[in-house]
Amino acid sequence: MRLIRNLIRTPEGAIGLGILALLVLIALLAPALSPGDPLKIAARPLLPPFTDVNFPLGTDRLGRDVLAGIIHGTRTSLAVGIAAALAAIAIGLCVGLAAGFAGGLVDEALMRVVDAFQIVPSFLLALAFVSVIGASVPVVVLAIALGAWADPARLTRAQVLSIRERDYIASARVIGMHPVEIAFKEILPNALPPVLALSAIIVAAAILTEAALSFLGLGDPNVVTWGSMIAEGRNILRSSPSLSIFPGIALVVTVVGVYLFSEGLTNALAGRRSEA
Amino acid sequence: MNRALRLIRRRAISSIPVLLIVIVLTFLLLESASGDAVDAYLLSIGGGDATVAQSLRQAYGLDQSMPARLWLYVSSLAKLDLGWSVTFGRPVLDLILERLPNTLLLMGSATALSFGLGSALGILAGAKPESLRDRALSTVSLILYAIPSFWLGLVLSIIFAVQLRWLPTSGIETIASGKTGLTRAADIAAHLVLPVAALALIYMALFLRVTRAGMAEVWRLDFVLFARSKGLSRARIVLRHVARNALLPLVTMLGLQSAAMLGGSVVIESIFAIPGFGRLAQEAVSGRDAPLLMGIIVVSAVLVICVNLVVDIVYAALDPRVGASESGG
Amino acid sequence: MTIADLSRRTLLQAGAALLASTALPTFARAQNAPSGGRLIVAADSEPKNLNPAIVASNGVFFVASKVVEPLAEASFEGKDGLSPRLATSWEGSADGKSVTFKLREGVKWHDGKPFTSADVAFSALSIWKPLQNLGRLVFANLEAVDTPDETTAVFRFSKPTPLQLIRNALPVVSSVVPKHVYEGTDIGANPANVKLVGTGPFKFTEYKPGEYYRLTRNEDYWAEGEPKLDEVIFRVLPDRAGAGAALEAEEIQLAAFSAVPLTDLDRISKVPGIKVISKGYEALTYQLVVEINHRRKELADLKVRQAIAHAIDRKFVVDTIFLGYAAASTGPVPKNAPEFYDADVPTYDFDIAKANALLDEAGYKKGANGTRFSLKLRPAPYFNETKQFGDYLRQALAAVGIDAQLVNADSAAHQKAVYTDHDFDLAVAPPVFRGDPAISTTILVKSGTPAGVPFSNQGGYANKELDDIIAKAAETVDTAARTDLYRQFQKLVAADLPLINVAEWGFITVARDTVLNVSNNPRWAVSNWADTALQS
Repeated sequence: MRLIRNLIRTPEGAIGLGILALLVLIALLAPALSPGDPLKIAARPLLPPFTDVNFPLGTDRLGRDVLAGIIHGTRTSLAVGIAAALAAIAIGLCVGLAAGFAGGLVDEALMRVVDAFQIVPSFLLALAFVSVIGASVPVVVLAIALGAWADPARLTRAQVLSIRERDYIASARVIGMHPVEIAFKEILPNALPPVLALSAIIVAAAILTEAALSFLGLGDPNVVTWGSMIAEGRNILRSSPSLSIFPGIALVVTVVGVYLFSEGLTNALAGRRSEA
Repeated sequence: MNRALRLIRRRAISSIPVLLIVIVLTFLLLESASGDAVDAYLLSIGGGDATVAQSLRQAYGLDQSMPARLWLYVSSLAKLDLGWSVTFGRPVLDLILERLPNTLLLMGSATALSFGLGSALGILAGAKPESLRDRALSTVSLILYAIPSFWLGLVLSIIFAVQLRWLPTSGIETIASGKTGLTRAADIAAHLVLPVAALALIYMALFLRVTRAGMAEVWRLDFVLFARSKGLSRARIVLRHVARNALLPLVTMLGLQSAAMLGGSVVIESIFAIPGFGRLAQEAVSGRDAPLLMGIIVVSAVLVICVNLVVDIVYAALDPRVGASESGG
Repeated sequence: MTIADLSRRTLLQAGAALLASTALPTFARAQNAPSGGRLIVAADSEPKNLNPAIVASNGVFFVASKVVEPLAEASFEGKDGLSPRLATSWEGSADGKSVTFKLREGVKWHDGKPFTSADVAFSALSIWKPLQNLGRLVFANLEAVDTPDETTAVFRFSKPTPLQLIRNALPVVSSVVPKHVYEGTDIGANPANVKLVGTGPFKFTEYKPGEYYRLTRNEDYWAEGEPKLDEVIFRVLPDRAGAGAALEAEEIQLAAFSAVPLTDLDRISKVPGIKVISKGYEALTYQLVVEINHRRKELADLKVRQAIAHAIDRKFVVDTIFLGYAAASTGPVPKNAPEFYDADVPTYDFDIAKANALLDEAGYKKGANGTRFSLKLRPAPYFNETKQFGDYLRQALAAVGIDAQLVNADSAAHQKAVYTDHDFDLAVAPPVFRGDPAISTTILVKSGTPAGVPFSNQGGYANKELDDIIAKAAETVDTAARTDLYRQFQKLVAADLPLINVAEWGFITVARDTVLNVSNNPRWAVSNWADTALQS
């Protein structure tokens, strides 16, 4: 609770939280706000925006409702972003914990794998991964996570190393707690906060990566995403610019929101630490 | 100097297992692909029958077992032989050397521009934290950061190349122009303006924010407070003390971002038709050209390792606190 | 003959209006076109093997046809729809077992050596028949090529081979390459497959991968006063939006094969100095086809296939996806092959009620969620339009209670999944009709093609009656009888629906007004451009 209070005390945090809350609300209420399949061909193709109350943002090349696309796209974009970040954090935490806690050869080996993932351009990796495995939402999520888990792993390991030698861990060891228990009960909760602050950045990057992949034609055709809307709209960027501008704006607003939220969160965490 | 040499040697040795991991993982990824180089080739020629496919697979060694092919690749790589590209019918090394300069030019210019502009604006913003100027710069940079680079690229190209016709729409230089020397350099520079801008503006935003955040921290440090109490002018404090210290994390950042920039250039190269690494990688993937894709990934990994090495050397030179000991990895 | 009909007919309705306003004036200027200049053209791909004798595909022809020539080229006006190139005449024997070509005299290869019948014999026996993707079918029964003198080549076949087929195939399968460059080498790996040596109006001068191909004028070209241009440059622009922008910025002068997306044509046609031309692709008709995997028990039922055919609104496909630059299909032979086309086949109107009734009859009732059954739908990724049609088909099927899940795969993966692994229920494919059903159309429905052959029947469909007709037509020498067999073929395909033909389309060329003599033959984009000129 105090965290949220700290969070909304900064302007970044307040705006970020506001934007995110709104987006999450839209994503959750998407089926109610715009019932039915957003990919349905609903009206005359290329209806200009602000001309028809039923289709306030107009329709696209095939006559699909742009507003419905944006609303349902919120779902996909947020889901992809959050799922990719969760996956990346989960992998990163496990690897980082294992490396930091085990030390020695295991640490050495795991960190070389982390190095390997850090020096390969993550977009190149995602591009290769998705085109080779086939474009569907889970594959895209995994591809993005694969390029993003190295940073949290490194950060977690550093945290573990700094926490490991502290007194309360030593005493846990003395009272005979199992190392794995120590790792998850004592070390993880303390190592987690800075990693979580990083996660917001990963969400923002994941949303942008998904858009870029869709732009190159590597999106899931069964769901609507902002990236695929931009990709479809770009061929008519000159004659119907609104088709790529609306999803573009949605994308920018989301990334700004996530970024502000992360900055607010970092400040709030720093505040909490200095208060403690 | 000695210290730098030692650092280079140590880095080179520790890079070998990392590169091996990269190679094996890339290989496994391509192995799991649906469709191989021969499928892709047959498609590009409009079809062929099963016997042709079989004989092609034999010719390219695709009929051998997976471990055998992996071993063959790694052992020839040890001899610095990157292999033969199936789709292009040329040595991988030639293809890479042909495209590398373009990508380096694009990335180098984008890095220089984003670093220079980002740190300068970051200092401007951080010099007076919470001022109107600071707020404005932060907001603009945040929005730039959030704009997808491909979108920025498309819009820039329509405005400056098609509507205003100030700059060429795409390509790396005017084709078959016969230009040499300085006129050619100017021609290439003109072609690079838009792609570099599209790539650099986004990273500029990142550098700006890091510089600004770094400065905010440094303001609070003792020696700055001391300098202020001595009555040094604000501008002087900013440049002498605050900025210098705030730039250090930026140098580290540069190393970390080099891999991301290399990845980001893929989309930009495709929009602006620049024959670089990213385009080559796309062609390698769509052609299921394992040796080529692995060559590209290995070379970009080496590139990133080198950039990080340079960054570390620079860092050590800038900050006397960092000794010969390496920080983490 | 028949292709010439077509030019008067102008099959593409929307194209007709444009054609009247733009293409015809250029025609009038054909005779006294100016000489010189450099034409810069957009190219969207860089074929790795550029030898048209081995790779008979439009991507290769686009560049290579200016350098390497076929025996004859398609023509709006010429006899048999052909205009002579390296051959000046051709004649078949009554038994269908030989064809005699008279070759042009005084033709030189770009390296100065003379062109003779030995080159034709070598190309046919060592390249077209064993190596070429289409030649393997057309020249399957070619036994020998006799060369009684330097300008005569007699093709001898082991089984009767219809002259009609050979004639129709000539522009596509008969690119002649020099024997002295290829003989005794590994033909597939010969460097001349990239650095072409031919007899054409332009010489291959330079290739900068990722940037451009440069062709320069052949001073010794056999046709008087040609070529008109000094240079043709193919500039590589892989991005779909790139060609339009480059045209407007006057960096290039011509974009063929719909390199400017259809959606942008309306706008770009209004830009001063730019013309949009829908002519010049009549002999390169692409067909939009739904491939069906008959191994799926639902799809093996003719009623289900008929229902799917009724569920597709062809008018929507033509008007919205192709923006009018296409025509609805009735069967496996397109309308602009009037020599073979038969309109009198079973047709399937857009009728959702009927589709629903047929599905009910077949025993696939709607479930509680309104769905009858689920399918895996794989649209080919090669064209914007095939992908968009995939999106549309998913919606069209949903309307009759069939749930289709789209699979987005890149070219190599799509190819493998459909033609080798048969991992699809429905697929969207864009096969090409190449002037004669036997070249690349019958293979789409006949049985017995082994797995792994792209653009062939891999849906497990087998129909003895249809196979017999196809086999009989392949050996019928008499043109009328053979044509009649292909009419039966169309009826049978339209009735039994081994696949569903939805639409057929040609491409669009966008050029600056300064480019003259554009689109003056039915394979213009892949012809030699000897008379194409630039107005300074």
